[in-house]
Amino acid sequence: MKRLGAVMVVLLAFPATASAHATLEQTSPKIGQRLAASPRVVRLEFDQSVRALSNAIQVFDARGRLVSGAPHTLAGDSRVVVVPVYRLGRGGYTVRWATISNDSHVGRGVFTFGVRAAAPPISDAYGATGPGTSEHVVRWLYFLCLALLTGGLGFRLLVLRGPVAPDVERRFYRVTGIGVVAALQVGTIAFLLRAEDALQLPFTAFLYGDLSPFASSTRFGKAFVAMELGFAFVAALLFLAWLTGRRLLLWPAFLLSLGLGSGLSLSSHQSDDRGWLPSFADWVHLSAATLWIGGLLSLAFVVWNDRELRRRAFWRFSEIAGPLVALVVAAGVYMTFKRLPALDDLWSVGYGKLLLVKLGLVCLALSWGAFHHFVVRPRLDRPAVAGFLTRSLAGEASVAVAILLLAAILVDSKPPEKQPAPPQAAALASRR
Amino acid sequence: MQPPAEHVHWLFATGFLLLGLLLLAEAIVGREVWRLRPWRAYLWPSLFFALGVLMWPVMVFFTNSTIHMLAHSSWAQVMMLAGAAELGLISGKLRNELWRLAVPLAFAVSGAAFLIHEANPWLYSRSAFVHHVCGWTLLVGALFPLGAAFKPRSLVFNTGYALVIVAVAITLYASRDVAPVFGHLSPSAGVAHR
Repeated sequence: MKRLGAVMVVLLAFPATASAHATLEQTSPKIGQRLAASPRVVRLEFDQSVRALSNAIQVFDARGRLVSGAPHTLAGDSRVVVVPVYRLGRGGYTVRWATISNDSHVGRGVFTFGVRAAAPPISDAYGATGPGTSEHVVRWLYFLCLALLTGGLGFRLLVLRGPVAPDVERRFYRVTGIGVVAALQVGTIAFLLRAEDALQLPFTAFLYGDLSPFASSTRFGKAFVAMELGFAFVAALLFLAWLTGRRLLLWPAFLLSLGLGSGLSLSSHQSDDRGWLPSFADWVHLSAATLWIGGLLSLAFVVWNDRELRRRAFWRFSEIAGPLVALVVAAGVYMTFKRLPALDDLWSVGYGKLLLVKLGLVCLALSWGAFHHFVVRPRLDRPAVAGFLTRSLAGEASVAVAILLLAAILVDSKPPEKQPAPPQAAALASRR
Repeated sequence: MQPPAEHVHWLFATGFLLLGLLLLAEAIVGREVWRLRPWRAYLWPSLFFALGVLMWPVMVFFTNSTIHMLAHSSWAQVMMLAGAAELGLISGKLRNELWRLAVPLAFAVSGAAFLIHEANPWLYSRSAFVHHVCGWTLLVGALFPLGAAFKPRSLVFNTGYALVIVAVAITLYASRDVAPVFGHLSPSAGVAHR
């Protein structure tokens, strides 16, 4: 016992390595760097000494050929691992590394660089397969979380407005609370899935995979950082609003969550070569859709048992649903024209076919909404209509949720490339 | 530009020390005396909640391994939950006393996260030792807030609860790689570089 006590005192009194395992501090070439000429070596610098494995650094070209030699730690500084590379031609290169740190943890990571060409995004590193079914499902769940959170907040502030009965307030906080907590979890899973695809590691090795290049130098990583921090703040605001009963706190939570929706557009695969206007249109499309769908879900599940409130809420929601749907359609049409260079892309390429199915579902949802607006609304006072309305709203919301699933797949897909103009046409155009 | 990990540990250690001292003061003078001024009741749960919120930046900016990111995420969430549950109970917004179990749950989850994300035995290195101490202190120490949830006036449970947090704070202060006072002594850590 005394010996253990002495060991504790010694260990706590004198400093040693405290960080759990080696952290990559610098690389040469830098992550994502475009080089004018081939480097002679690839060099990694860690914050503590490491042991180089036989595959400590492997450099691959775009076709997966190994273009590096045997790695070794630098004489005199075992924090630095170096590998010689062959003379590299023009193109993008992927560096995969694995080292053992002092605490025996094997750290692994990946990054890219380019020689006389732009470096490929890390998510497109050699070996990455791109978004799969699990990523589509996760992105869909993210859309649903946004609908519950942003749509729920919008419904409370723009439709219900003033004070409401305590049980309605409780249901509102439950719906939006589930939305924000789920957004934090789903955001983390989405980030990990994208990183896991690029790192190409088995689960146990992935636990020690270095995620910092993804968080700091990719668009989806930056979106992840902003959205996690933002949603944590929204969660705190939502909690404080519930605790203190101050509805004013819901406004910053609403505006912040509305703005954070843009992170999904910026992190999408198809935002690679877009300007600010298509990205803005994408955000308008997504925000209007989440407000609309979140409003429908709130109508169905937040005010469902308060007949008078539901009647009032239905009238007010139908007033703002029209402009929201108009925004969804206008932004959607604009993006369709931007992304599909030719009309026949709609039925000749996979992206277009998916878009057609989505448009079909949008038409169904719009017809359902029009039925509510023109047929149900004037008859709201009839008892039979009141009983049927909740089921009908849940039905319309289900169609909208299906639309979100297709939107999730579209966001992760690449639209067809624009065909370059034939040489003669290009020459004529330049003469004019 | 990130601060060194140990600086972040020290900042949180300061937060935990303050939290532990507030709890200790409440345990010593008794709940009735402590709450003679109503705002005092909100002090430590608010601090717990704020520490949870502050853990999110650590989660997203220290991403040098997946398991560390997930551990920080779990700490952020359970601290927010524990603080929020206590605030809800004090304000009367929550009435079910089972919400008091949020604190022992937070201790247990945090302790498990410390132990799961440390792959080495106790005396392998300083970091391994710190992780094991924190992990087991929180796991075993969860018994104190658990007891306090059912016997809120127990001096033993309330004092033990406070001292567990103080112990975690001291252990976190001991987490250092390059300390300005002691210098960089470990030969295995290579040349001093910060």
